[in-house]
Amino acid sequence: MALNTLERERQRRERRTLAALLAPGLLWLTLFLALPLMIILAYSFMTNGPRGNIVWQFTLGNYIDLFTRSIYVNAYLRSIWISILTTLICLLLGYPLALFIVRQPPRWRTALLFLVLIPFWTNFLVRIYAWQILLANNGLINGALSSLGLPPLTLLNTEGATLLGLVYGELPFMVLPIYAALDRFDFTLMEAAADLGASKRRAFWRVMLPMTMPGVAAGSVLVFIPTIGQFVVSELLGGAKVDYLGNLIQRLFLRSNPPNWPLGSAMAMAMMLALLVLILVYFRATTEENR
Amino acid sequence: MIEATSPAAQSRPASRPALEQGRLTWGGLALTAYAVGIYLFLYLPIAILALFSFTRDQFGVRWTGFTLDWYVRLLANERLMGATVNTLYVALVSTFVATVLGTLLAMAMERYRFRGRTTVDTLIYLPIVIPEIVMAVALLAFSALAFDLIRLLTGETLRRSLTTVIIGHIAFSISFVVVVVRTSLKNFDRRLEEAAADLGANSWNVFWRVTFPLILPGVIGGALLAFTLSLDDFIISLFLSGPGTSLLPVEVYNKVRRAVTPEINAISTLMLVLSITLVVLSQSVQRKQ
Amino acid sequence: MILKQRSLAGLVLALCMALLAACGGGTASPGNEYGGGGATTPAGGTSAEGVDRNRLSRELYFYNWSDYIDPDLLAQFEALYGVRVIVDTYDSNEDMIAKLRAGNSGYDVVAPSDYAVAIMAAEKLAAPLDATLAPNLVHLDPDLLDQPFDPGNTISVPYFYGITGIAYNARSFPEGIDSWAALFDTSVIAAYRGKFSMLDDERETPGAALRYLGHSLNETDPAVLQQVEALLIAQKPYLAAYNSADVNRKLASEEYVIAHAWSGSALQARSGLEGEFSGNPDIRFVIPREGGMIWMDNLVIVADSPNSYTAHVFINFLLDPEVAARNAEWTGFLTPNQDALPLLSEELQALYAEGFAPDDEVRQRLEWAIRNEQTAVFTDLWTVVKGR
Repeated sequence: MALNTLERERQRRERRTLAALLAPGLLWLTLFLALPLMIILAYSFMTNGPRGNIVWQFTLGNYIDLFTRSIYVNAYLRSIWISILTTLICLLLGYPLALFIVRQPPRWRTALLFLVLIPFWTNFLVRIYAWQILLANNGLINGALSSLGLPPLTLLNTEGATLLGLVYGELPFMVLPIYAALDRFDFTLMEAAADLGASKRRAFWRVMLPMTMPGVAAGSVLVFIPTIGQFVVSELLGGAKVDYLGNLIQRLFLRSNPPNWPLGSAMAMAMMLALLVLILVYFRATTEENR
Repeated sequence: MIEATSPAAQSRPASRPALEQGRLTWGGLALTAYAVGIYLFLYLPIAILALFSFTRDQFGVRWTGFTLDWYVRLLANERLMGATVNTLYVALVSTFVATVLGTLLAMAMERYRFRGRTTVDTLIYLPIVIPEIVMAVALLAFSALAFDLIRLLTGETLRRSLTTVIIGHIAFSISFVVVVVRTSLKNFDRRLEEAAADLGANSWNVFWRVTFPLILPGVIGGALLAFTLSLDDFIISLFLSGPGTSLLPVEVYNKVRRAVTPEINAISTLMLVLSITLVVLSQSVQRKQ
Repeated sequence: MILKQRSLAGLVLALCMALLAACGGGTASPGNEYGGGGATTPAGGTSAEGVDRNRLSRELYFYNWSDYIDPDLLAQFEALYGVRVIVDTYDSNEDMIAKLRAGNSGYDVVAPSDYAVAIMAAEKLAAPLDATLAPNLVHLDPDLLDQPFDPGNTISVPYFYGITGIAYNARSFPEGIDSWAALFDTSVIAAYRGKFSMLDDERETPGAALRYLGHSLNETDPAVLQQVEALLIAQKPYLAAYNSADVNRKLASEEYVIAHAWSGSALQARSGLEGEFSGNPDIRFVIPREGGMIWMDNLVIVADSPNSYTAHVFINFLLDPEVAARNAEWTGFLTPNQDALPLLSEELQALYAEGFAPDDEVRQRLEWAIRNEQTAVFTDLWTVVKGR
């Protein structure tokens, strides 16, 4: 009997703690995220007016256009492709870097981690612009090439330049979570694996990578998703020649004549839904493995 | 404030010597070379920026001699300086609030099973999947509605300002904090907390003495992400700011799209020096403690 | 020493106050109300005469394109009237309208382009313009007044206009250029692959292609648009970029040898942008013989502005020929203020004569872009081009 009350008391306390933990963040997200998004959701079913004003007349036309017209479908496919490439390259660069940092003596680690981040405290656009200076026709790289007597290269305003800018911009978002995961990884496990006769490579694939998967997952998602919606990099380094999803949404909202907020909203909604499903499945899969 | 090494890692001295040895292998050397290469990649544009903040060349794309003119001009540029101050203020406030709210949320999500957890999960991931422009438009439309409502209820006429920008920045930063802090909470050895509780610590003390130090790297990582995102955000800042409260990313966007001057290089270099100084200071203060 | 400076400053301040008081006293007659009586016609913009200081606000918020007003003029306005003008900048008409639509933006004066004036009128985002409070309207070129986007100029006043054509580097094109073929003919453009840009605008670039093909730039016939699409897609592999942002700088630094450009950016490339970069003397600008676009940015008072009177005073100030001339010198865009033209520097007048401004013959070849329900097809056309 006494145990029962004690248990109930404990449960009540737990519930109160949970409420205290959840309430502030949840309230903020509901008020300043979920509610505003409802407006966008509503827009996506509305009709576009002649002046880019919203006409409150229900339609499914925006979603139908989205999935049937090749100009829109292709933008999705292009964005997915470049985002996958960006994520993979970031992973190839980011994982070894995080590993390198974790393996340093403790007093160095923080500094090295900060070194990854510091460039990102200068404005993103300015950093991308710095790449323009490097890559331009009469830029620094071509200047160096010509002083060596080599022919100039077209570097700027190419898809390669876009990819480079994306990787450059997203790398720390890969490094940070992987670092966090590696920091919690018990490296004695690697020795144990070695003692059991596993090669280093095998130990990495079988022990270290699976154990740090939550970090890899978080990093990949943090890189993949903003890349899908980006528009500045392809504009400044890609010469604005190819529309990715982000450029298209941006244009529909702010550049086209008239702007088409309903279609832009529908496009964003479809993209968000797909990404949300991806993210939930991905996180669930990677977390269950490690429980 | 900053300590990327968790006590747990320090309490594993046995693993260290082996690793120190490991650094001398070919694999270790290759890893080091690789890392150095990546650091070069990260700093190449930054170095260019800093270098060209001292060039005489007006396009800021060639080295034509040393000058401090751009810095002088910058300091005289009230608009850019004001925008910088606004931006730092917004970034600091929104990072602080988002880190607190995000860490609490992360604890709740990792430690408890409750009804509606998936819904909360979805809500948390929303800002990560939402294109900036959509969030900006949503918040703009929402602010219009909210202001109308407030005027109807209280007669108070509100206007977009730095506060609305901060509210927007917190709304997207929380999620990034949650994601990073949750990574720290995974693989978390809860026996440490139980041991502390057994030794008579109350749950408040357990949190501050045991849990918090252990997840601190994650919290710091999350805060840094939030800070970086806030410094760089341009569309939400553009849409939610009020008249006369310009923010640096907005100014820079307008500039970069028209003509970047070495003045922009100068402000970037100053921000860089400022952040490095802050990091070094906080590090040395901490070491003394 | 310090004391001396202080007392000197004090003296100047006292003098100014006295002067201000005198001016204020002179005009603060009770009869001088909004539109009240013809007795108080405000005179020139650069003198404070005829302005009721009691009705001026302390601050005025001007939402403008970036680099689109000489900052010295703001200082002059403040010195004259004691009103501080705070300028925020936007990047497209749509950015600006989105903010105004949300209501209570806090801005008093904005600078929408032609078609955006019509949108603002339709959406009731603009306050009526009281011509009696802007006597400097008389200085404007009548050809640019009373346009279809605002018949009778009931809400808008021309601020700057521009024309769209080809800017090029004379060292690369010693023969000169007179046709859009220089940007569209693939047998020609192959020679400067990766060194030219087109405007990143769904009306400008298809518009140029339409003129090249001999059509109106407002043509929406699907068969013609099909040709335009093919032409733009054929051009794309040779193009460095779609760029409407920093064409000026890239022409000046010779990153581009030729570009589809606004006259204003071409002029900036030629003579430099004060404090930003120096000019390149080899830059030329031409409206090709097939014709080009004309457009205009206008000053409009925001509907919910509480400072309508101050806004009128500010607009009237900007319409003063001397002020307009200085502003035109600074921005490089074309002033619709015909009385300002003789006040321009000789250099600028020479540049205008050289082609950076349209003469009567060129004007015949210029066309306004109309925006209506039919022209919405250009969005799709542009999406197709950008999708390849």
